[in-house]
Amino acid sequence: MITLENIKENNSFASKDQLPRKKNANKRKLPFKQRIKREWDRNAIVYIFLIPALIHFLIFQIIPFAYSFVLTFLDWKIIGDSEFVGLKNWIQFFNDDLAWKAIWNTVLFSIYYILPTMALGLILALIINLKVKFTGFFKGIFFLPVVTSFVVIAGIWGWLFGGTKSGLINYLIGLIGIDTQLFLSDSSQALIVLAGLSIFKVAGSTMIYYFAGLQSIPRELYEAARIDGASPVKIFWRITFPLLKPIHFYVLIVTTIGSFQIFDSAYLLTGGGPNHSTTTIVYYLYQQGFAGLNLSYAAVLSYALFFIILIISLIQRKYLGKEDNIY
Amino acid sequence: MIKKIFSYTALILLGFTFLLPFIIMALGSLKETQFAQLDPLFWIPDDPTLSNFQYLFNDGMFLRWIYNSFVITIIPVFSQMLFAGILGYIFAKKQFPGKEVIFWIFMAVIMVPQQLLIIPKYIMFSDFGWINTYWALIVPELWAIMGVFLVRQFMQGIPVELEEAARIDGANDIKVFFKIIFPLSMPVIATVGTFAFISNWNDLFQPLIYMTQEKMFPVTVGLASLLGKEGNFGIEMAGATLSFIPTFLIFLFFQRYFTEGIQMSGMK
Repeated sequence: MITLENIKENNSFASKDQLPRKKNANKRKLPFKQRIKREWDRNAIVYIFLIPALIHFLIFQIIPFAYSFVLTFLDWKIIGDSEFVGLKNWIQFFNDDLAWKAIWNTVLFSIYYILPTMALGLILALIINLKVKFTGFFKGIFFLPVVTSFVVIAGIWGWLFGGTKSGLINYLIGLIGIDTQLFLSDSSQALIVLAGLSIFKVAGSTMIYYFAGLQSIPRELYEAARIDGASPVKIFWRITFPLLKPIHFYVLIVTTIGSFQIFDSAYLLTGGGPNHSTTTIVYYLYQQGFAGLNLSYAAVLSYALFFIILIISLIQRKYLGKEDNIY
Repeated sequence: MIKKIFSYTALILLGFTFLLPFIIMALGSLKETQFAQLDPLFWIPDDPTLSNFQYLFNDGMFLRWIYNSFVITIIPVFSQMLFAGILGYIFAKKQFPGKEVIFWIFMAVIMVPQQLLIIPKYIMFSDFGWINTYWALIVPELWAIMGVFLVRQFMQGIPVELEEAARIDGANDIKVFFKIIFPLSMPVIATVGTFAFISNWNDLFQPLIYMTQEKMFPVTVGLASLLGKEGNFGIEMAGATLSFIPTFLIFLFFQRYFTEGIQMSGMK
């Protein structure tokens, strides 16, 4: 039976079938100028804003990135032409004990810094998550160092950890009978004091990650565990901690990348010393490039830093993708 | 009850520890203290004075540093908010040739550490004559990929129907963006702004390299030079307090945007 609906349906099918072909035909027929005009009418905003942004991106990101690589093969001079020197800078890097010490120092710094930052962030998040009164206020206090500049904190830190009796920390440990420590002037302690500064400064942001993670854990799990009579400690280790796995991983990557770029506190508090014990990769890069004006060699160091960070990021991409659907 | 006592004790102890450096800074700025006669508890107030602040204000250079910091912070903040808004909209809602490729390149480049770019940029800016000018710190910061990511992510959640309704009424892209999308995205754009403010205001590495004349220093570099040479701890702390106040105010009023922004940038 042929009804009105059927006809309509058939018609609409037919027209749907033809429509794309017609469009294509139209497109082919349209002269170039009109096609441009149509695209412009549809996407003017894209071209007006994206093109300047892309040019900016090219000048300030892509060209420097490429030029930096070229620079590693040159002997760049402040005055006069640069010379092509092949792999000389790279060979110098592989034979430069101080560069490797800088990398080692940075790894050491990461070891001192990463786990404590994660642990402190998690502890802060757990306390905030108890949701008693005023937690919002305390959340603000814990986050305050994150927005404060390294210069401000370093100014205070330098005095707190002063190597004489006038420093507050020495005063406090003196009260419990520990001898005055040198802290920043001691080559085995200075890096730890710098790590402490970074822990203080960054724990507030790891807290925020963990806090978000804690809130995404379903309540039913806790309730079920409580009904089964599990203790709070057991609940933490059996439920909370494992379910935070994606957060642990993400925070680990972020803090690791951050720790490899550490510069400010070494520059402000120790100047890389004593005895190069706080010369990090970026500090060494700064020294070579901008104190020694050896920009080509600094470019090699910056590429070494880049490769380290790239490897960490690739690990992140590989594993974070997998862990996404854990909940 | 025990849980509550435990919570408050932990909160107050940790809170005090986190605040202590700031308390010392603020109280220390009110005392005239030579390094030589520094006492571990010097900051506990007796006869406070504003002379350290007076010294910094009369010095002239310090106010100039604060001014420099504002110049190199405010312009990028507003520019980054605008560009993050529009580019976020473009990548969230518009279809155009090359979109995927461009976005993929952005994703890749975000991994490049700034320290790598600074060496070639120093050479470039020397050629441009930008060393010791504001250009070196303003122009490269006019827009940033991270902000575009944040805004794009947010705008993808805005239902298409809102936009379509406006288009039926004859609104074009610019109108749709400024009348509908932009106001709806204000929270995330405020996040971009606060992040830009903090990162530009607090930046030490870049101005340290591009600014070699004292009168062009932003307050971070200026304060760092002060830390080295002043014999008076009180003046250092007064300088630290002054340079801290703008970030503190921004933080006080926009705290929500910080914490939400950090969550958004990390979580999907």
